[in-house]
Amino acid sequence: MFEKTRGFKIFTAIFAVLIGIFVFFPLLWMINTALKPAADTFKINLFFGNATLQNFVKVFHSPDILRYMGNSLFVSLISCFAATLVSMFAGFSFSKFHYVGRKTFMSTVMMAQAFPQAILLLTLYLMMQKMRLDGSYMALILSYVAFTLPVGTWTLKAYFDQLPDALIESAKIDGAGWPRIIFQILFPLAIPGAISIAIYGFVWSWNDLLYSLTLITDASRRTLAPGLVMKYMGEFNSNWAEMMAASVVVSAPVVLIFAFLQKYFIAGLTAGAVKG
Amino acid sequence: MSKRKLRGTTLSDSAVGVILILPALAIFVSIILFPFVNSLFMSFTNKTLMNPEYELVGFRNYQKVFSDPTFLRTLKNTGVFVFFATLLPFVFGMIWAVILNNKFRGAGFLRAVTLVDWIIPGASISFLWAFIFDANHGVVNELLKSMGILSTNINFLGQSGTAMMVVVIARTWQMLPWYMAFLTGGLQGIEFDQIEAARIDGASGPQVFRYIVLPGMKSVIIIVLVLGIIGNLQHFDIPKVLTAGGPAGATTIFSISVYRQAFESYKIGLAATIGTIWAALLAAFSFLYTRKAA
Repeated sequence: MFEKTRGFKIFTAIFAVLIGIFVFFPLLWMINTALKPAADTFKINLFFGNATLQNFVKVFHSPDILRYMGNSLFVSLISCFAATLVSMFAGFSFSKFHYVGRKTFMSTVMMAQAFPQAILLLTLYLMMQKMRLDGSYMALILSYVAFTLPVGTWTLKAYFDQLPDALIESAKIDGAGWPRIIFQILFPLAIPGAISIAIYGFVWSWNDLLYSLTLITDASRRTLAPGLVMKYMGEFNSNWAEMMAASVVVSAPVVLIFAFLQKYFIAGLTAGAVKG
Repeated sequence: MSKRKLRGTTLSDSAVGVILILPALAIFVSIILFPFVNSLFMSFTNKTLMNPEYELVGFRNYQKVFSDPTFLRTLKNTGVFVFFATLLPFVFGMIWAVILNNKFRGAGFLRAVTLVDWIIPGASISFLWAFIFDANHGVVNELLKSMGILSTNINFLGQSGTAMMVVVIARTWQMLPWYMAFLTGGLQGIEFDQIEAARIDGASGPQVFRYIVLPGMKSVIIIVLVLGIIGNLQHFDIPKVLTAGGPAGATTIFSISVYRQAFESYKIGLAATIGTIWAALLAAFSFLYTRKAA
């Protein structure tokens, strides 16, 4: 893109090194500390030579962390499935139907991602208390679905917009009912978009801290992010080696999804994702 | 419009459309619209978490908040946080995007690894930076000491002067990849012919960047900055875990302030008031966004 003048080369070299260190060193340091024997945690050296899994063993032997992980998996899978389905329905409806209020609702949904989440939380918390849902994941899952909706609906609407109306018309002439048209003809064609939204929904709920910290008050039902924060932060002598191992563990699922489904991941990201 | 017939027969098309939108509508109303309106209403009450009874107090909460010096500090902290935590990752994300856009071997891989910083949970990111800047054993302290720059450790997270700096650095680290990804898309959308033509006319690298690349990326840059500002105005995780808003309120931004009023002091009415003022600020930026995006 730019001419390779000396000035450009020097500029590139300096910033490549500086930004490279800034971007990659902390990640390396997390893995490094997690893999070093606990006795070496505070030494400035790399793990090569005496790598150990003892910190990970400790994390996996902690019954509360295992329970948090199961809870997180449960909540994230259900909310990503529900969010994708609801977004599919809504995106399809916005794309192919005409009814009163459609345009208004479309633009309102888009704005939903800009509502301050903490202020919604005040009322959601009171609603849950009132309905005695304190111990249930209901509010958490519905919130995650709600925050996936703006990006989900709009991305999937774009997918359905590409499908010709004639597809629906000819299916109707062939005598297919709406359920068949939706589930067997149209939805399979929007699967790439659906995967992007499922990933987006999963990562959102897996990473969320604000809602999971406040809406789940029962310690045994806590999810992973707030579980780790409550377990490790505020300890007077922090156990850094174990904390870094736990950080690697909580990051692993989203990194794996990213590694294997990068194409869909970037699609979801550039669909206008605002990550709180 | 044809009328809806009895069970077992077909529905009219627009009825199907409405049925399909119902789940989204129900969730939107119950999770976003009603809570938002209700929270606005609560900002005019003295509601607490301890007591189900409450009364209307008019603008008393607002008077209280605006005359409270800690609120002005929250406002200032939010301003500082949003300004630096948007500007720094934007600038470095842009430079990083330009560097990785030179098609050298491994550029794609480096871009992918860069994105890892962004996708991992905020809790992990906060643990990591708490360790890096730890007062006793953090690698920053150790490195500065071994280079002879420091003689005694700095308690980065424990003093107001440096705590906000660490929060901004951690947030910059988290968001740099996001800006990089968007700006890479913008860079790749620029017409190559235009750059060629300018170069034949003798334009230098910085001139090409200033007069062709930047204008060509204008809409991407505006959208990314507005979205970045909205995201930072919403941000909670890093200051919550890294510093819990402290020391002495030095990193208390809006989200932390609302959280603490509501879930630590149990003053829902006051929390809702701070939240409403915050929502007004967000609405201003969101308005900008929808104007620019449309």
